[in-house]
Amino acid sequence: MSIRFGDQLIAVLPRLRRFARGLTGSAVEADDLVQAACERALARQHQFQEGTRFDSWMFRIVQTIWIDQVRSRDVRKEGGEVAEERLGSDEPVRRVEARLALDEVRRAVHRLPPDQRTALLLVTVDGLSYKEAAEVVRVPVGTIMSRLARARIALQHQLEAGGGMRRSIDNAEAQ
Amino acid sequence: MQKRSDDCLIAYLDGEVDASERREIEGWLDTDPAARDKLAALAESAALVRSAFDEVVHEPVPDRLIAAARGEKLSAERRANILPFKRGRSPAGAPAGRSWWLGLPLAASLCGLLLGGSVAYLSVAKLLPGALEGKQPAVEMAAADNLWLDNAAGYFKLLASAGDGALIDVPATGDPREALQKISQSLPQEVRLPDLKPWGLSFRGARLVVADGRPAAQLVYTTDNKAIGPLTLIIGSSKEQDIPPTLARRQDVNLLYWRHQGRAYALVGQTDVGYLWGIANDVAWQLDAI
Repeated sequence: MSIRFGDQLIAVLPRLRRFARGLTGSAVEADDLVQAACERALARQHQFQEGTRFDSWMFRIVQTIWIDQVRSRDVRKEGGEVAEERLGSDEPVRRVEARLALDEVRRAVHRLPPDQRTALLLVTVDGLSYKEAAEVVRVPVGTIMSRLARARIALQHQLEAGGGMRRSIDNAEAQ
Repeated sequence: MQKRSDDCLIAYLDGEVDASERREIEGWLDTDPAARDKLAALAESAALVRSAFDEVVHEPVPDRLIAAARGEKLSAERRANILPFKRGRSPAGAPAGRSWWLGLPLAASLCGLLLGGSVAYLSVAKLLPGALEGKQPAVEMAAADNLWLDNAAGYFKLLASAGDGALIDVPATGDPREALQKISQSLPQEVRLPDLKPWGLSFRGARLVVADGRPAAQLVYTTDNKAIGPLTLIIGSSKEQDIPPTLARRQDVNLLYWRHQGRAYALVGQTDVGYLWGIANDVAWQLDAI
């Protein structure tokens, strides 16, 4: 393995973990996913094209493995239940109101359909352009745009309905 | 129509519209208070989503992922070794290999003597053919690295074993910069102090040590978080070529070491490697930035 490849991989690990955490809603599952992605990347490093974005390539691997995992599950729990259960199991005792509000945001994200969640995490959280996100997911830019719009609107409705936005804002102001 | 409007606002917020679309949307926003409210709400929810996941990138990366990225298998034994630092005496069944660092108190006590003779050392070093030249055979370089890292880990163990009673040559009372100036007087190069407060670490002071026969500074940082324990940063001189931060391990001590522009660094601790990586990057950035 080239040292440079391993170093690049280590450098992008925090972002991969964040992306995986958003996809899975679970710290443990997210790290398992990232580990699997690292192993696959190392096995297929010859497929990486120099001059292209390494982070996008890794995001694609994470997303592909995750989609495979989602598809392999015959019955999937309703998003909200899954998120609550998993986030709760990995979080320490919730200490402050702000954390509760952010948990609510994470749960709302997890309730989104997988394709919308992926678009939201790539663009809104990780700052990829629509074109870059489209390359990761291998769909047209217009598809990313519409998925993202649906995700953002659904999220906003959820947060407004749950009072999450207001509480978050209040907490942020209080800190 | 409404959906189309939302799409436009979202693309506008994400900077994904061209100049003419931007002008058109801004014209619309100027005349439509409801659209402005919508835009503000969308921006707010986007900021919340970013905040909700932002903490993940500041978490320590687990050792198993670092190992996976390097194509290494993290053995059960090795994983078991990466434990939160525990103060006090080691259990009766401590590994026999522990004795390698026990000789270091003697080395430490000789430190002042060696420092006093550092100029003489540098003169003698010039007499050794190829000893300080840029290129050395790989085996020799690896051996030198090993000795340097053994020393760095040994000094850490001495400090950790002593707990609060550890001797600090230059305690960080008053102005820490003063402590660094004093240390620097005994070293070939000036030592600067990285600020690790954002990592919850307080500078406790500095010690003069000897790493691979060369004088070096050991900066000592402590925290109330027992899961992290104390950390030390060894800064010495080196004439070897630069290397990026590299992970090493000596029993239950993790080290991240690198060389940059004539200096050798080792961040040493018993906390997990991901945490050390974050701090090492910060240290490297701080010391090179000014």
